[in-house]
Amino acid sequence: MAYRRRRRSFPRRKVCRFCADSNVKIDYKDPKLLKYFITERGKIIPRRISGNCARHQREITMAIKRARHIALMPYTTIQPH
Amino acid sequence: MRRYETLFIVTPDSSEEELKAVADKFQGVVTGMDGKVASYDEQGKKSLAYNVKKQSKGYYVLMDYLAQAEVVAELERNMRLDDRILKYLTVKLADDVDPASVEAVKPKPKKEAEKTEVAEEEAQSPEAQESEEEETEEETEEE
Repeated sequence: MAYRRRRRSFPRRKVCRFCADSNVKIDYKDPKLLKYFITERGKIIPRRISGNCARHQREITMAIKRARHIALMPYTTIQPH
Repeated sequence: MRRYETLFIVTPDSSEEELKAVADKFQGVVTGMDGKVASYDEQGKKSLAYNVKKQSKGYYVLMDYLAQAEVVAELERNMRLDDRILKYLTVKLADDVDPASVEAVKPKPKKEAEKTEVAEEEAQSPEAQESEEEETEEETEEE
């Protein structure tokens, strides 16, 4: 029983927030929004965790990579000296 | 004509006049090659996510313009040579734009007027939702 309970305890399915609200535009110039999809170390959060759909995860990834290039977002938080 | 936007970072120790000179120079490059600058927006001094050329801050400038592909090459070449530019990024916004549909910018623009005009279409593909079902199991195992 306990075992089954554990297996069955699936977390609530996250809905892709960009599908839910089409007003939100994914833009590389908007680090405030993109910050939500990276870890404290600056890594992109996989969609398994973030709950984005494939299409929007792709857009997010692209936007984050562009933002990194133009120094709006970090590649990593460990700064080289 | 294609519509591009270039976001670039000007070195933080530049004065008002230098920013003006940079604006004139790069807008001149675009207009000089039959391009059309749709907006030129100085977004002000921001701190960079990481140091670029030993600088931790920079003036971000967003230039939105219509031009041929060669103009982008020329513009980027100029930016590489210019010491005041720390970094630049050019993104294509749209193909085959009618130059008449976009108004050229006045010498000193206030704020970006239209930028969301060339927005990506929003449509959800049905397969994406189907695949979400299977993912649930994966997550359970992790915990």
